[in-house]
Amino acid sequence: MKYKPTESDLISYLYGELSQSEMEKVEKYLLENPDAKNAFMKQADVRKILQEVEEKEVIAPPILLERNSQVVFWKTTSFKTVLSIAASFMLLVVFARLMDLRILSSGNELRIGFGDNQTESVLVSPVTKTEVQQLIDASLVKNNGQLTSQWSNDRDALNKSIQSNLDQNSKKIDGLILNTSTASQTEIQKFVSGMQDQNLKLMKDYLQLSAEDQKSYIETLLVDFSKYLQEQRNQDLMYLQTRLNSIENNTDLFKQETEQILSSIITNVSSSERVN
Amino acid sequence: MAGTLLDIAMMHSDGLIARAREGNSVAQNKIIQLWYKRIYNFSYKFFFDHDLAMEVTQRTFISMHKNFQQLQDVGRFKSWLYTIAVNYCREELRKKRKDRLSPLSELTTGTEESHGWEKSERREENPEHQMQQAELSDLLQQCLLELSPEQREVVIMKEYEGLKFREIAEALNVSENTVKSRMYYGLNGLKKIFDKRNITKENIGYEI
Repeated sequence: MKYKPTESDLISYLYGELSQSEMEKVEKYLLENPDAKNAFMKQADVRKILQEVEEKEVIAPPILLERNSQVVFWKTTSFKTVLSIAASFMLLVVFARLMDLRILSSGNELRIGFGDNQTESVLVSPVTKTEVQQLIDASLVKNNGQLTSQWSNDRDALNKSIQSNLDQNSKKIDGLILNTSTASQTEIQKFVSGMQDQNLKLMKDYLQLSAEDQKSYIETLLVDFSKYLQEQRNQDLMYLQTRLNSIENNTDLFKQETEQILSSIITNVSSSERVN
Repeated sequence: MAGTLLDIAMMHSDGLIARAREGNSVAQNKIIQLWYKRIYNFSYKFFFDHDLAMEVTQRTFISMHKNFQQLQDVGRFKSWLYTIAVNYCREELRKKRKDRLSPLSELTTGTEESHGWEKSERREENPEHQMQQAELSDLLQQCLLELSPEQREVVIMKEYEGLKFREIAEALNVSENTVKSRMYYGLNGLKKIFDKRNITKENIGYEI
């Protein structure tokens, strides 16, 4: 029987979606049948022409997918709240059951307890007011005694503690003072000896410096005094010289006056004698 | 198909799809980024109308987001997504036909002059001198429109979206043989349309 490919085979062959053996069969058929090949080539040409269609460029919009708005009932906040309250209540009930919780309400009385009801035993002997008062007094006395003994114990303990602390502290302080005093004696000795050495050195320096100064001062004084004496003597000599010159001048003047007087006398005498 | 990084990412996105199916919104966003162009181009070729293509694309991804958990097999995501897109395309096509009942309803008749394609008819008289690459692309898409919707969706899925016949069959919920048959007759129909418009491999090659 001669092989003839179906339309499906031909179109699969055109798009290369046939198995190898089938492809060879179709190829062989097309080679043997020019009409079929011609039709096939026309379809291939159509394909080539179709490739000329351009792709359109489009940019995907920035899509922000919203959260699932259909919130499931059991995911709603209100349901969760109710569920949590119910769960808490359930938990309480379970614990109450496990611990055998009993809640009794009768008259003005509310009882909450665990285990069996023991109200009968409690209500067997009702106490009177005086008994209650006595119980309270006894309890107070007992409490007071306990408090007093406890206070005294505490006080003793405190005293002991304070005393021991004081002893320890005083010992420590004594030790510290002792250390301090010994330390201070040696330090003072060192300090005084240092001071003495320093003062001695200072005094030596001072005296040395002072002696030198005095020496130079006296030398200067002596020189100045000798200069002064010399000056004074010169001045005295000049003064004497002046006085002597003055005396000499006076003497000369006196001598001239005397001479004049004598000459006048002589003249007078000679004139009188002439007159006479 | 596997030409760009985007295509490679699309082919190796099983993990992403699995996370998206579990409700991971980041993964779903990434899937939208990956597949947006493909679905848009499919819709655009189906309608040759930007607005309708955008409408179908957006509705497709909204539906994907809502019904992601219904995806049974991650490996069938591609056909599943195209199923949604095809359904919306068909829905829009029905609306379109309903809106154009009066004179415009005659658009799909092959022998009569169509209102919307008057320009193309003029071009057809002398395509060698008028067709630029973009115009050629437009013209070819107009030719695609002349196919029946069933043939058109198969041709677009196979020729431009690179789906296997099995995947197309899954997407359209028909047998693989039906898909191949539609493809076979779709190509033959296109051949006749091209002949009518004087579009041949030679004159297209010359123009290019």
